[in-house]
This record gives sequence, structure tokens and C-alpha cells, in this order.
Amino acid sequence: MAKELKVRYYKPKTDFKFDITDIENFVYDMSRCIKCKGCTWVDHTYMPGARFMTRCPSATKYEFDAYGAYGKMRIGHAMAEGRLQWNEKALEVLYACTLCGACDVGCKRNLDLEIELTLEALRVKAVKDGVGPMPAHKKIAEKIAKKHNYYGATHKTRTAWITDDIKPAKKADVVYFVGCTASYVNKEIAQSTAKILKAAGTDFMLMPDEWCCGNTVFSVGMWDEARAMAQRNVDKMRKTGAGTLLVSCAEGYRMWKVDYPKLLDISTDDLGFKVIHLVEYADEMIKNGNLKMKKPFDTRMTYHDPCSLSRLSEPWIPYEGKRGWMGCVEPRLQRRRGKHGVYAQPRDILKEIPGVNLVEMPRMRENAFCCGAGRGTKEAFPDFAQWAAKHRLEEVTEIGAETLVTACPWCKNNFIQAVKANGDDVQVLDISEVIRASIES
Amino acid sequence: MTISKEIYTVLESIVGREYISDDPVICEGYRSGPGGYENGLGYERVMTAVPGCVIMPRTTEEVQKIVKVCYRNEVPYVPYSTGFYGPRSHPHVEDALLIDLKRMNDFVLDERHFYVEVGPGMVYSPIQEECMNHGAYVVIGGGGAQASAIANLIGDGWSPLSHRIGLPHRRILGTEMVLPDGEILRMGSLATGDDPFWGEGPGPDLRGLLRGYTGVRGCLGIVTRMAIKTLPFQPERLEPTGISPDTALSLPENRIKWINFIVPSKEAQEKAMREIGHAEIAGAVTKVPLFWRAIAKAECKEEFWDIWGKENEETIANFFIVRVLLIGFTSEEQMEYDERVLMDIMSELGGEARRTKPSDESWIKNADSAGMWLMCGGYVSLDYVIETLSQASEHGSSYAALKKKYTPPLMPDYGDPGWFQSFELGHQGYSEFLIYWDPDDDTNPVDQFYVDTSKMNIKNRYYTSLLGPHQPLYLTGPKYGPNYHKFMLKVKDEFDPKWMSHPPVPLAHDVFVERAPWMHNMKDWDSPDDLPK
Repeated sequence: MAKELKVRYYKPKTDFKFDITDIENFVYDMSRCIKCKGCTWVDHTYMPGARFMTRCPSATKYEFDAYGAYGKMRIGHAMAEGRLQWNEKALEVLYACTLCGACDVGCKRNLDLEIELTLEALRVKAVKDGVGPMPAHKKIAEKIAKKHNYYGATHKTRTAWITDDIKPAKKADVVYFVGCTASYVNKEIAQSTAKILKAAGTDFMLMPDEWCCGNTVFSVGMWDEARAMAQRNVDKMRKTGAGTLLVSCAEGYRMWKVDYPKLLDISTDDLGFKVIHLVEYADEMIKNGNLKMKKPFDTRMTYHDPCSLSRLSEPWIPYEGKRGWMGCVEPRLQRRRGKHGVYAQPRDILKEIPGVNLVEMPRMRENAFCCGAGRGTKEAFPDFAQWAAKHRLEEVTEIGAETLVTACPWCKNNFIQAVKANGDDVQVLDISEVIRASIES
Repeated sequence: MTISKEIYTVLESIVGREYISDDPVICEGYRSGPGGYENGLGYERVMTAVPGCVIMPRTTEEVQKIVKVCYRNEVPYVPYSTGFYGPRSHPHVEDALLIDLKRMNDFVLDERHFYVEVGPGMVYSPIQEECMNHGAYVVIGGGGAQASAIANLIGDGWSPLSHRIGLPHRRILGTEMVLPDGEILRMGSLATGDDPFWGEGPGPDLRGLLRGYTGVRGCLGIVTRMAIKTLPFQPERLEPTGISPDTALSLPENRIKWINFIVPSKEAQEKAMREIGHAEIAGAVTKVPLFWRAIAKAECKEEFWDIWGKENEETIANFFIVRVLLIGFTSEEQMEYDERVLMDIMSELGGEARRTKPSDESWIKNADSAGMWLMCGGYVSLDYVIETLSQASEHGSSYAALKKKYTPPLMPDYGDPGWFQSFELGHQGYSEFLIYWDPDDDTNPVDQFYVDTSKMNIKNRYYTSLLGPHQPLYLTGPKYGPNYHKFMLKVKDEFDPKWMSHPPVPLAHDVFVERAPWMHNMKDWDSPDDLPK
């Protein structure tokens, strides 16, 4: 460490914390951006050529530097120092962003700046300053507050996805947290998940009185509301006594695994239960022989990495420390760089299915281009969300894939909408449907 | 002057309302610092301003129309490609129009004649990927894989691969440039047609004025198109591997490999480079700063200091490495021959091959310049010289000696003489000296060191890159000319009589010294009283 050096310069140490309710914690990160745009370009080692060069939807669509993380860091820094005030454009810059984490892994390729947390902190600041979130977000938040679900649907119909052949247990070690979208809109995902669990011989129960996970509320910066939802859901889960919470939605996965601990200032390990996505479970079941996928699916298939299952999904560890000379921190910080996201499992599953010819898109894994739907984008900027999905579909077309598979209902729905608008001949499926099709005789 | 509503409307009619903005939030996104290349220093604090308006043209014709409006209405402007080059590529005057060229990212590859044509928005790594897919390669300059190829090639544009490929200006086959009055100037073979496979054109070659040694930062106009020579590469695929941050190109060792050698002395290091060049083998021969090795080994900034903190002046003074990239350009047999020759050279010089990973993390496709900021936060490549091999290696040592005077605030580097390598098969030697600092420290001495190095180069008779827009022109011009500065200013006046294109370059560093009180005691040269203040 620096203190062992013979040449040692004086540098007062400053306290900081990974607490996104105070933008001051991230002034260092904003001030150290070097405009290399590693946040925007695909990792140069993987750069696929003169097409598909970028991985940041916001910077790619809007093009002004302000929309890339390098611009947002400068804008945020100016705001934190009181040199720049909120206006309509500032809100657009802040919220026309999928918070997909591409910038964060790009920056941590070289500089280890906390870009994702800074962007989240800026949204919390916008709400605290009384200018955020966007009107469309407020409407969603109101629906969730009133009906406990994203769609404002009747709460008691939340379990209407359950068909006669699906029998959740009253008590089990696995809780399936279905989420709003699979409960109300994409019931096929919930039904497929339940059937996969059954096929592998795993009993599961549902959360007693399941409520929305709060993804949109958290993502748009409504910290207090999101924290209350996190506390409520974690308490309910703990009361079940189950050891594992399983989700089939990538956004829900990130909320439970990363953002609930962040909101509650605990580590993922301290939740008291394990959080897994269906693909982690299915991959393990396939590999240990409990799940057999025999029915062929003859197709040229590609897999889209949902951001919240991949680069954003590493466990949360609270951090509080001091920053000193040359910006070194103590105690040593275990940085979340997206390297250990859920990348291999979905691919391993799909490769196991007879007949599937799995081909990769030019931008894959940590370099994947977000579908554009998540984290408040589709609600406030639906055109941008559709543009992003269409841009991603250009890759699907380029590699000649017939089937696009993802592992998140948000991605699936956004892609389906774009496929319809484009008139593309591409089938969009959730991975739960693909697995189910292959295990059913 | 502020860009008026009327002028804004005219500019908007050229590009469309989607591609122009004077919103303070959009303009703030184009602030130079405080982080980044040379940022955080006095030059950035004193000399840069947030633009008054940003415009994003798509075509050369749009650029022409924009600068004509600027010229007629005396609106200062700055061409901007990726913004990575720090304060010197950002506005130096209030209310400037920043012309962001990122939408001009056209790319054409001529496989048969081995060249590419690019716009200023096209960066290096996609060019390299496309080239390698067609059996060719280019040099990704030290500016990094994220640098605009045009901006890099009219500035610097070299890397370890310059050992074989040579200096960057030799690879510019043609340029298209919009002059400050809006007229087009085509140079090289673009001057005669649209098939720029050859580097020459009619009349005097003006690419030298455009580039000089290290470029003039857009003060003579805007380059909107460039034809770049590519060279034949070996045919095997270099497969990307790993997950970020641990990504690398896997090297097929039958056709391409790095080998690191430890040699017994500085003399042996220099001789190895000369002999390798003389034998006309290898694709790259280099000795990088030793702290780069620590960056490569470290998992994080704190670990870097753990590793680097174990070094001292003695360990640095007695560590001599030569890093060689062998490429079987024509065949596996050629590769084997090159390796045998290399081993013979190293055997005679007492060099020992160390275990080297069969991968490339930096230089072939991903020139990893962005990682340079990891350990300190503040960085600039202070100077580079292209001399003979023996002079180049002395240059690094002389810098290291002067650096002691300014350490701290500069990072403790225990006398590391910087980056040193062979260019053009050993016919030239290259030395680059890099400095690092904590931006939170008092950085005034860093500004002073910058000018002091120029004085040292003048005293030691090194032909420095720090001419023109990189140092006070009235300090370096009389010493390297003796009329270099007068010539430069006459060229500027001829190209841009109203000084609308990136003012006050090429006098920006002169102006900085005048404006920054902590620089006044450094000034022991004469300059006119009418410098722009």
C-alpha cells in the first residue's frame, strides 16, 4: 500500500460511502472521467467492425456527448458543485437512459469509476430536488402504491396465471417470486417456470400476498418508496422460512439480489436466503440430470443478455471507507465489474436442446446492447425504447437468426413490439418457454 | 461573440434541429475536464471554456456550410472528433461553436489496393477489425483504440507496431480538408481523383503543414476524410477471449507471438533493437515504462501501489526489458526463421526469454491508453522524440533526472526513463516520457515542468515534438527555426486570416503563460505585446 512507499505525499483522507442518497459520495468518480468513452464503445478487443460499434443506447440514439456517461459525469459534477441547474433537457439526459450498466463495465475495464451508482445517485438527487422523476414514472408509482402492481390491475387477480395443473405448495424451501409482468401480462413465463420446477422435482411456494418488486420506483430515484417496498418484501420472504427465492424476471432478480440489499444497507449474503434466476436453477438441474431436454427445437437461435441478469447482477456489498493519496481507498474495495454476471448458464441450457443452432450476435455478454425497455425508459421514452429494440434486432437479422431468446419479460415484450412494427420474421421467446417446450413430450 | 438567434437558425437549417443545441446542459457535456488527458492542470483551467453551442454535421458539405457561416459572422469554432485529447481539443474562447464530427463515421475498405477511407468520427478498433478480416492491418496509435483515426493521424499516430510499418504520415494517402473559408482542399492522391491508393498528388504536399510533427489541433481547418494505407497481415484469426475487464486477443503462436526478454544492460537493450531492425525481423520492438508492467499485473489501483511501492531506484536502474512481437506475415516458415534470428541476437547479447502469455492485451487491436489513468488520476505524455536509437534512449534518462525536481507532485517513479522503442526497423528511435499526478495536489509545478522540459530539450539539442501548439511558440520557434514561429503564424494567417478556427491556437500556450500567474517566473523568452489575452 502507498504508506509503505519511501516517497509519501500529504493527502487528507476523505470519507465516502456507497450511499446513492448523497451525490457527494460520487463526486470523485464524476471528476475522474477521462472521456475515453470506454462506456460507449464495445470493448475494443471484441469490437465487431464498422457496424455495431457502441453498447450505450442513449449515446447511440441521441449522439450529443451529454447523453453518454462521459457527458453525464460532467453534468452531474457541475450540478453537485452548483454550477448547473436542472432544466427539461437535464431531465431528458438523465432519464432517457436505460441504466443498463454497459457504461459501468466499460469504465471498469480501465478506470474503476462507479458510473452506475453515480447515475442512480443523480436520479435520487433529481427526486430529492423536486424535479424528478418524469410524469410517466409518477403514474406508475401511484398505481403500485394503490394496487401493489405495476399495471394497476386488481390485486386479487395476481395469481390468475395459475392453471389447474400447477399446484404451488403451501410450504417449500423455494419461493417463486413471479413478478408483476409474468403475473398479469406474460402468464406463459410464470406457467413455464412452474412446469420446469415440477419437471425437475422441486416443490415451490409463492410469496404470501406477493407485491411488486419496485424496480421502476427504485430505478427512477424514488428512494424512500423503494426502500419501504424492499423492507416489506424482504420481511415477507424471511417469514416464509424458505432458503431460496427464485425469479424468472431479470429486473426482479437484480432488485432482490442487488438493490434490496443496497436499499437496506446490507450485503446480499445478509438477506438470509439465496436469490436465483430460473436459468441458474435450470442449468444446475440439467447438469445434475434432474431436468432432461429431449424434444428437438430445430432453429437458428440467438440469445440476448438481459442487463439485469448479466452485467448488473453481481452481489451487493456495502462499502464505507476513506479515499486518500492518488485516490486509493481503504479498506480494500471489492469492485463490482460485471465479470461474474449470469452469462454462461443460459447459453449452456440452449446448447443442450436438440436441434438448436446457437449463434451469437456481434455484441454479446457484457457488451450486449440493451433492449431499451428497462428501468423507467419505456414508460417515459417509449420511442427511444422501441428504437433500441429495433437497433438490437438489426444484429439478429445480420446473423440470420430465426429465434431470439431472452430471459426477461421486459426484453421479450419490447422485442415483440419492435418485431411487429418492423414486420421482421423473427420469433421472440423467453427462455422459460424454450425449456418448457423441450421438456414436454 | 455570442451566437445570435439568427445565426443559430441558419446553422439549424444546415443540419436539422436534432443536431444542434445551445442548451447549457448539452454544452456542459462538452466540458474538457476536470479528468482526462492533460486535464486538471492549469492549461485546462485557464484556457478551456464550455462551448456556447454544439453542432453535429453529417457530411463534408454541411461542414463547409457551417464554417462559411462562422467565417462570415466571426463565430470561433473548434472541430471535435472524440474529445479524448483533452483541453487542447476543446474550445479556448467563450461562446465558441463546437463542431462535433462523430456522425461523420463513414468507412470504406479497398481490399485490393490496401487502403481504407474514413471520416473523422471513425475510431481505430473497428478499422482494425475490418482490416484483419480482409488480411490487412493498421497501426492503432498510442492515443488508443478509441481515438479518431483522422485526429490521431494528423497528430501523432505511432505505436510499437511502427517498428515495421513506420511513421504515421507515410500512411496518409490522401486528405480532404475544409478550410476556414469553407473551401475544400484535397491533398495526396485525393487531389486527383476518388481512388486514393497512392500517397502522392500534384503540387506541393501540404500534409506536412497539416500534421507537422504532432499536428496543429484543427487551427488550419477541418479534415473531413482521409485515405489510410493498410498493410498485409498474417491470415489467422486473433480470437477475443475473456470477460471484461480481463479481455485479450488470443494469439495463434504459429503466426504471431510476443516474447519478453530480459537483457543485462541499457546498451544491450539498445543494441538488441538495432540488431533486430538490421535483420529486418519482428512486427514490434519496444521497452515500455516499467510501471505499465505493474498496471498490467494489478487488479486495482491499490494493488498497483502495493506492487510499485516495492520498487526503488536500484531495481529500476537495473531492469532492462525488450518486448518483441513476431509476426509470420507470409508463412509459418518465415515466423520460424524470424524467431531463430531473434534468439541468435538475444543469445549474443545475453538476453533471456521470459514466459510470455500467448495473447495481446494492448497494441494490436486494443491500444489501452485509457488504463494509464488508473493509478493516479492525472496523466499526460509530456514529450516524445523521434531520433536515432542512441539519442532516444538518452532522452528518457535526461527527463527522469529533471523530473526529480518536480516530484512531488509528480508520481514517484524512481527514475524510470519512460517508453523507448525502435521505429522503421531501427532506423529511428522513439522516446516518450509520461508523467502522472494526483489531480487533488497542487498541480502548478506540473505546468512549470511542462515548460521546463522544453527548455531542457533546447539546451540538450533534442528535436522535440513539443513545438507549435504544444508549448509557447515564441519559446520554441526561435530555437528550432530560427523562424519556425514566424513561418507557422504566416501559414495560420494565410489559411485563417480571421483566426476563427480554434483560436488562439497555435499561440494558446503562449497565452496560457501570460494568463497564469504561476507561470510568469518561467518566462525568460521574448514575445510580442499583442498576444491575444
